[in-house]
Amino acid sequence: MFFTLIRLQFLKSVRSTSFAKSLITKLVMGFLALLLLTYVLGAGFLLKRILEQFSDGGDLIQILNSYLIYFFLGEFMYRYFIQKLPVVDLESLLHLPIGKKKIIHSLLVRSFFSPLSLIALLLFLPFSLEVVGTEFGWMGIITWLGSILMTSWSLHWIMLWFKQRFEDSLIGLFVVFGVLVLGAGSSYLGWFNLGELMGPVFDLALVNPMPFLALIGFFAGAYYFCFYYYVSNAYLEDLTEEEEVRFANQNIGLFSRFGLPGEMANLEWKLIIRHKKSRTYLMLAGFFLLYGLIFYKNPQYQSETGIHWIFIFVGIFITGIFMLQYSQLFLSWNSGNFDFFLSKRNGVSSLIRGKYLLFMGSSLVCFLLSVPYAFFGWQILLIHICCFFFNIGILMHLIIYFSLWKPKPMDLNKGAMFNYEGVGAAQWLMILPMFVFPYAIYVPFWFLFNEVIGILVLGVLGLAGVLAFKPLSQININRVLSNRYEISSSFRQEL
Amino acid sequence: MIQIAQLKKQYKETVVLDVPALEISKGECFGLVGNNGAGKTTLFRIILDLVRATSGQVKINGEDVAQTEAWKSIVGAYLDEHMLLAYLTPDEYFETLRKIYGMSEADLKHHLDRFTELFNDEVLGKKKYIRDLSKGNLKKVGIAAALMGNPEVVMLDEPFENLDPSSQIRLKKLILREIENSKVTFLISSHDLNHVTEICDRIVLLEKGKVIRDLREKAEMMSELEAYFTG
Repeated sequence: MFFTLIRLQFLKSVRSTSFAKSLITKLVMGFLALLLLTYVLGAGFLLKRILEQFSDGGDLIQILNSYLIYFFLGEFMYRYFIQKLPVVDLESLLHLPIGKKKIIHSLLVRSFFSPLSLIALLLFLPFSLEVVGTEFGWMGIITWLGSILMTSWSLHWIMLWFKQRFEDSLIGLFVVFGVLVLGAGSSYLGWFNLGELMGPVFDLALVNPMPFLALIGFFAGAYYFCFYYYVSNAYLEDLTEEEEVRFANQNIGLFSRFGLPGEMANLEWKLIIRHKKSRTYLMLAGFFLLYGLIFYKNPQYQSETGIHWIFIFVGIFITGIFMLQYSQLFLSWNSGNFDFFLSKRNGVSSLIRGKYLLFMGSSLVCFLLSVPYAFFGWQILLIHICCFFFNIGILMHLIIYFSLWKPKPMDLNKGAMFNYEGVGAAQWLMILPMFVFPYAIYVPFWFLFNEVIGILVLGVLGLAGVLAFKPLSQININRVLSNRYEISSSFRQEL
Repeated sequence: MIQIAQLKKQYKETVVLDVPALEISKGECFGLVGNNGAGKTTLFRIILDLVRATSGQVKINGEDVAQTEAWKSIVGAYLDEHMLLAYLTPDEYFETLRKIYGMSEADLKHHLDRFTELFNDEVLGKKKYIRDLSKGNLKKVGIAAALMGNPEVVMLDEPFENLDPSSQIRLKKLILREIENSKVTFLISSHDLNHVTEICDRIVLLEKGKVIRDLREKAEMMSELEAYFTG
């Protein structure tokens, strides 16, 4: 059964109309994963020396144990942002005599084979062989490392449940934010020492198998918890049964001034708030407004002018995160009803203009919300203004240009449960190349003149892009129009 | 109204549609029948410029559909769910179309009033997204949408499919009324020979992409078609 499902998944991706695109994404992802895992392994080998620097002669293992909780909090964070949820074409399997439980088991087990499951192992294996082994012998290694792995792997199941359940809701965001505050609060601000909470458990694990056995139990419990959640929701309808028609008359009034494109922008807005996947993107945009806190106050990024090169990255991110992520699936959002737009006069061009309008609006909102960062200095405000213009003037057109290469159909209307991947690593991957552009412009001017000029050039170029909106957007519109048959047939085929 | 010339659609080697010439005149009710895979939907999609023709062209009011867009404002169509915005409620969907077609609210109300009987109180005013509607109600929404904005041509793919018997009869009446009142050109594909012969004054039979019968005599339609399909 397990292999049949894998084979089905494989066939689906090979026969998909956007196979080339996903293949390239997968190759790059695989390569990046390998690279990162190598780094993790490298860090694992260096772990002993890093700890020695901190230790002032104290016991290395105890120090590590007291910091493990931060590792797990960190793991929670990165899992939240990059762990994908397993998906399956439940609709075509449910009526067969396979058994729901079997499907879900294989679904969950499959999700476990991921580079994320290796991180804890690679990071702590060298240290445990080197240090734990010499002090506590083989039993010590097994119980200590085993406890760490079980905790890390339990997080895998907990995250599967958590993302499925809360990712598109404010609760999820609060929890993630809470974890962040918890970690930062205890370490930087010294409110309390979290390390003391988990430290003793792992201290005990060195000499006693009990914690390891208990954590195995926890791991199994987490698995079954997740499993039962999935099984009990293995129906075609949405989680919340028949969703209340919310925001029924929620139009953004401002858009209606822009004629047909404005109407399309309103439609798109409804699409966003009525689908789980797109709501997640919206939530993330909210979360990343806080991103600047990590960078702007960080002593590592202070400079005389108050502008560190990394701030451009942050500025682009903060003022454009929604656009950057949402527009990667530019037309895929409309794959279920692309024919609707095709069959209307000026439908496609209005749709695209409407999306542009929405992106600009979202960027503007993000920018306005980020104005309080001016508290960290006028430079930050300047960066945000310039990045905002660069986002809506230049970057927007570029991302859309790239996303129009073999757009992938996406069925937003299937039951959300098994059709919902959440935000995964791929969404981040596509963003990274986009940062080549602002830096390609900024860096030469930075070296020739100074940072402020570099930033201003970004802003001015962006502004020029805004003024040239019509011809620039026409490029992408024409691209869609000339590929309309391929796009609409690929959208029709795969649902 | 619609001229088709040298139209051909080919997927690799297989020819799925081959229509040397076909003209549909204004106010005609044009029925399209044929077995599965005969090319009915493909023909409709090519007329709507959703699928690219391998060769040949379709003209609506003298305009080549692949070149211009002006014809889209006089053509209404409902082929499948891809033409709906499933994440809206039916009311919102009609409201959106109203804005697209530049109709007034009174126009919309007047338009929807014609469908009161067909909708049977199951479509409008319900707090339900289109994606949650049953297949039959989905079809009703699509048909009402296709008739919006005073189109001169209306194309419906299998309009009777999924409808309950009384809705089928109501829809038939509605189409006949439209033809009589506003001289709309209807293009209807259907497997239901009874319905299609009843409302259409011309029926074209497709087989493997080719037009093999072009029937205009009401009296002979049914018998000819029955003879063909019973084979």
